[in-house]
Amino acid sequence: MENPLHPFELHNYIPLSLFGIDISLNKAVFLMWLIIAMVAGLLITAGSSRRLVPTKLQSLAELLVDFIRGMILDTMGKDGLKFFPFIATLFLFILFSNLLGLIPGSYTVTSQIIVTAVFAITVYAMSLVVGFVRHGVKFFGILVPPGTPAWLLPLMMPIELISQLARPISLAVRLFANMTAGHVILGVLFGLAIAGGALIGWLPFAFTIAMNALEVGIAFIQAYIFTVLTCVYLGDAITLHGHGDAHAHS
Amino acid sequence: MPSTDPLYAGLGQAVRIGTELLAALIVGGGLGWVADTYLFASGPWGLVVGLILGAAAGVRSAYRAAQRWSKP
Repeated sequence: MENPLHPFELHNYIPLSLFGIDISLNKAVFLMWLIIAMVAGLLITAGSSRRLVPTKLQSLAELLVDFIRGMILDTMGKDGLKFFPFIATLFLFILFSNLLGLIPGSYTVTSQIIVTAVFAITVYAMSLVVGFVRHGVKFFGILVPPGTPAWLLPLMMPIELISQLARPISLAVRLFANMTAGHVILGVLFGLAIAGGALIGWLPFAFTIAMNALEVGIAFIQAYIFTVLTCVYLGDAITLHGHGDAHAHS
Repeated sequence: MPSTDPLYAGLGQAVRIGTELLAALIVGGGLGWVADTYLFASGPWGLVVGLILGAAAGVRSAYRAAQRWSKP
């Protein structure tokens, strides 16, 4: 049986190096270019004809934009709309890479932890910059949850620090692990279908169809979670302790 | 869009909790281990304290994630 981790290996198509840094082109790089081209192409063609009665493509784009806008308003309030371009780009890129990866023979960019880690670290660094620009030194107050008695501070501050540092890690690992696990399961099931032959092989093959349907759902959910958490972290930086906590403590 | 469906939205929030616990534990244990090995040579105590604080931080993050659901 074939190694189910084999599809995740990357081989250089065009070896390149710039000042000693390896920038070789491989499948993942080409796929990222394709995703960017597809997202940009979809939104540009959808936005070029602004009709009152929208075409199919235009209403799809309107649905997406409305969905992302609602997500930002829910988690960050009106202040968050400044980040709309960044969040929409992030959501569409992750969604398209998750979905394109489900096409057999294609490649899931988000199953490489380096890709998800770069996104997560960018998001977290951005939330730190926004926080320090808006609140200055007071931003360290994010380490003190509202209503903490003074004698608990030495215990709460390390705990809050760890839970802050865990944010980029949980963001990166969640997306990467979900994508990788789904594709490993699909790979194992396909391997079983081939090994089983005509006699029993149809059973795992039927499961691959069910798994593929589940994976489409997971692709949406993971893109959604990543973006919602981006909104939540940026929202925490804008209004110290965030929208959700403010509700819970009032 | 399936993610606007209440079932999928709920599934999404549930999936969040597990990684939240794990990531905090990794960070807490990792910081403790670094303190043990490179900073103080303090035996296993950095790792022990780090893991306990990490577990507490994980529960705190999970609690905060759950708090958002009860938002009116």
